[in-house]
Amino acid sequence: MSTATTESVREYFADMINGVVTTLKGMWITSKYVWGVTPVSIEYPEVREVLPERSRMRLFNDVQNCISCTQCAMACPVDCIYIASEKMPEGSEIKKTSNGQPIRLLLTQFVIDTALCCYCGLCTTVCPTECLTHSHDYEFSQYTIDGMKYDYLAPDVIAWRDRIVKT
Amino acid sequence: MQSRWDIGEPEAPTINKETEQLKSELLTLNMGPQHPATHGVLRIEIWTDSEIVAHAIPHLGYLHRCMEKHSENMDYRGVIPYVDRLDYLAAMNMEWGYVMAVEKMLGTEVPRRAELLRIVTAELQRIASHLMAFGTYAIDLGAFSPFLYAFDMREKILRIFEEVSGARLLYNYIWIGGLWNDYTDDQITRVSAFCDEMLVEAQKYHELLSMNKIFIERTANVGVFSLQDCFDYGATGPILRGSGYKWDLRKNKPYSLYSEFDFDVPVGTGEIGQPGDCWNRYIVRMREVVESVKIIRQAIAKLEPGSVMGKVPKIIKLPKGEVYVRSECPRGELGIHLVSQGESKVPYRLKVKSPCFTHVSMLPRVAPGQMIADFVATVGSIDIVLGEVDR
Repeated sequence: MSTATTESVREYFADMINGVVTTLKGMWITSKYVWGVTPVSIEYPEVREVLPERSRMRLFNDVQNCISCTQCAMACPVDCIYIASEKMPEGSEIKKTSNGQPIRLLLTQFVIDTALCCYCGLCTTVCPTECLTHSHDYEFSQYTIDGMKYDYLAPDVIAWRDRIVKT
Repeated sequence: MQSRWDIGEPEAPTINKETEQLKSELLTLNMGPQHPATHGVLRIEIWTDSEIVAHAIPHLGYLHRCMEKHSENMDYRGVIPYVDRLDYLAAMNMEWGYVMAVEKMLGTEVPRRAELLRIVTAELQRIASHLMAFGTYAIDLGAFSPFLYAFDMREKILRIFEEVSGARLLYNYIWIGGLWNDYTDDQITRVSAFCDEMLVEAQKYHELLSMNKIFIERTANVGVFSLQDCFDYGATGPILRGSGYKWDLRKNKPYSLYSEFDFDVPVGTGEIGQPGDCWNRYIVRMREVVESVKIIRQAIAKLEPGSVMGKVPKIIKLPKGEVYVRSECPRGELGIHLVSQGESKVPYRLKVKSPCFTHVSMLPRVAPGQMIADFVATVGSIDIVLGEVDR
């Protein structure tokens, strides 16, 4: 047998052994995960993750503190906030927000299209009275796309306030 | 004289004697836009002769969102969420590139702590992006378990980002003039703990995949981008380094505080296969993870308490002029060309030079003569994100 043939035969078997050894190494690493490793996935509907404090989920506007300044609508990069307001009726007393700013305009519409919202958080940072915040609600799928429009003056949405706004 | 951009006629595939008589015409095959091996909505039209690719044409535009045009109607802060969505696997790096361009025109001083934390954040994001590349590349080649390990580690980074910025993927965290939020001491401790863990894990990945015989057979000497091709097409990042050229903007043209840091630039040396093949591109990424860990540790050691937001006017109006800023992203070199007409709240023009676009354009160069399975390996190894290609 010539040396070239011996060399190639040796190489052939060395390759084979190398293939088996490296594959077994990988399988050994994987098999270590069979016992003694805690699962990392969360069994979602039963177990819920506690979201971090700064998590940005569905927007919530506390209309009692809103002064209709429309800064959030201007900051929004996708224009998903629709605000309408009118002059306060004559003779009505001027209420104040929780941080002392007078409410001079009567808010008639405050709608956010959550289907358009990109959850960037720019609107919450410009809000002077901090009434517009990101809540921690993340389960709000709807059957129609119109259902994603939330009117924050509607009584059922205002009722979220007890749950969301921290006093 | 041959034009620099002329890639020439596709080379005839190598055909053996028996199949030559059977050959009638080339078969056109569409890979994508839903093909899992294309990493997004990329359609590649390939002309095959039996199993061998004769020519490949990438078709782009399935994820085109007019980001550049949109940003012309957006104030400078409002562009950041759009820039996020360019490369959605490395959104922090994208934001940083754009924000640097605005800051350069505005002449803002960024506090030292903010710069250091930006480096920490960007390097963490680089690790996360490379882990994703590692996991999905293994899936392309038929190995499923590395993907799970990679996602386990990536999840830890995303969790830190979620606590710091509030979002998991599209952060809007790096702001003009600084950062939105500061890291707390607890989060910094967790970042260092993650770094220690990552080094152990990286070693495990090498044993699991890098040195695996089957993986080497699939990737070594496959899809070779020669150094000349890389220069001709303008490849950057791990593609260029995988071909053996030591070029990293963080080292060669340091921006931010990168000149203060001590780290190596890994290149493909061809210890297995040859420089420029899939294995060398892959190993460059895996070694960059270790270098990123080094940078993060140094940045954390340099951290001092202080403000993370510089002085920025409430309404940003840039002076008339233009600026071009380059930064090193996980996939290569991001260039932001920003033009302002002055006295305006919106950019006049925002042009993004994306690294992946050039890399996709290199595919027709290497495809002729490859087997289809090798072509899948090549597409996977350039680690494209279509959000950035189409913009």
